[in-house]
Amino acid sequence: MDKVVTLSEAVASIPSGSHVALSGFAITRAAMAFAAEVLRQGIRDLTVSQCVGAMDADLLVGGGAVSRILYGGGSLDRFGRLACVNRAIEEGTIVAEEYSSLSMVFRYMAGALGLPFVPIRSLRGSDTLKHLEEVAPTAMAYVDDPFTGEKWLALRPLNPDVAVVQVQVADPEGNAWIYGPRWDNEEQVKASKRTIVITEQLVPTEIIRREPERTVIHGFRVSHVVHLPFSAHPSSVYRVYDYDADHIRLYAEATKTPEGMRAYLDKYVYGVKDHWEYLELLGGMRHLSRLAADPILGY
Amino acid sequence: MGTEVAYTPFELMAVAGARELKNGEIVAVGLGLPVVATFLAKRTHAPDITIMFELGVIDPEPIHTGVGLADPRVWYRAKVLSTFVDMLGSVLHGGRVDVGFLGGLETDVYGNLNTTLLGDPKGKFRHFVGSGGANDIASSARRTIIIIRHEERKLKEAVSFITSPGYIRGGQERAQAGLPGGPSRVITDKAIFGFDPESKRMTLLSIHPGCTLEDVLNTMGFKPIVPEHVPFTEPPTAEQVRIIREEIDPEGIYSG
Repeated sequence: MDKVVTLSEAVASIPSGSHVALSGFAITRAAMAFAAEVLRQGIRDLTVSQCVGAMDADLLVGGGAVSRILYGGGSLDRFGRLACVNRAIEEGTIVAEEYSSLSMVFRYMAGALGLPFVPIRSLRGSDTLKHLEEVAPTAMAYVDDPFTGEKWLALRPLNPDVAVVQVQVADPEGNAWIYGPRWDNEEQVKASKRTIVITEQLVPTEIIRREPERTVIHGFRVSHVVHLPFSAHPSSVYRVYDYDADHIRLYAEATKTPEGMRAYLDKYVYGVKDHWEYLELLGGMRHLSRLAADPILGY
Repeated sequence: MGTEVAYTPFELMAVAGARELKNGEIVAVGLGLPVVATFLAKRTHAPDITIMFELGVIDPEPIHTGVGLADPRVWYRAKVLSTFVDMLGSVLHGGRVDVGFLGGLETDVYGNLNTTLLGDPKGKFRHFVGSGGANDIASSARRTIIIIRHEERKLKEAVSFITSPGYIRGGQERAQAGLPGGPSRVITDKAIFGFDPESKRMTLLSIHPGCTLEDVLNTMGFKPIVPEHVPFTEPPTAEQVRIIREEIDPEGIYSG
């Protein structure tokens, strides 16, 4: 079944108020073109989740599309803070459920496996847990181990409305390969009610069938496939392109103030019609070809 | 051997971190100094160490310095590229991690770490990076090593927010919370600390060459336990400094 659509069509399938799991990790495989299109379509009141906060969530928060974030903390690595997420938390304009990486992925995992809850050793004795008990009192409880009687912290499963995942390779049905580490992406997809795959390369299903052990996203879980090159820019896509250090620096500087963020949005999100115009604004192929990954190094 | 060698405080900390690692151990690391310390151990006395990054990376051999765990430069030539459930789940939560390296905005007399916020959690505060895998490592590793700059604002009687628990409020509190292990060492740019087996209060173990006891105590926000005799930290060897400068961090990004 061919599910290939434009980014605009895929984004239009997401109603305001949805819970969206995002595939980014700091500055790699972040759903940047997706986030920009969400802002252009005026979708609002989203809950976003990911194990480690990334640039995709930061852009969505900075554009005012998010009311709640579930994440395990995050940054732009050495480029700086997730300034929009941090500012929104400091000013109370979003509700933040802050977990650890493992407690977030355990919630997705429980959702993926259809388990009623998952016990975890993390979070105990921390203020992270105390804060979660205030902002998400129904997300956790204590249970007794039925075999030993030991007391455990239990987490509630998480089932997002949609996972949005940047991948290197997918077929028209949505069967997808992810090269490199996959952090929480498999559990996000399997826990979510449906998935939007955004791929750098679209291949015939025959290619997938030749190396099916590489498939980490099952096509039947996918509602839309978007084939869009450089759709994670300025974050990196392992073995396809490196992160755009100059643009991430520009973003980190701009997002330090609300005025700077506004100017960034006006130029790079609202100032362009779509992702193709964004790529032209960056300098087109002359600029992008410099980011192409070395096939041996992968960056 | 035996000759005086010039080194930076950072290099001394990396060497002190490396000395804490035993051959064959599984080590969970973030980026920065812990990576330098772990690679140094692997290239000297502990070649069979397994290095693990939380997002799904085992035993990479980077040839370029990365900006963080999200940088494919630090995944180069890895033996495994997988997932959080694999690394933090099956390796860490499954009880296989011997040592976790942790850093933070501030730590306290019981080795609790704050990477979340500074200020009043109920009022005005500045929010930072949060946990990532730090809370998970602090909760499930057999022992943790804290690496932090030696400043009064970073070494506090009590942190303003416990992101990652050490011995919580001391004594048996950590064990009562159901947590194994706990911090074994705190390495700063002036000294190395351990923890008292009973009270779990931070205890001075050694002072770096060139520092004095007064300097160490006057630049921290609480009084650690100070034994009668406190030795100087063993300085790096010329070979250790050479490996850091020529092989592990030739661009001087971490050690500069």
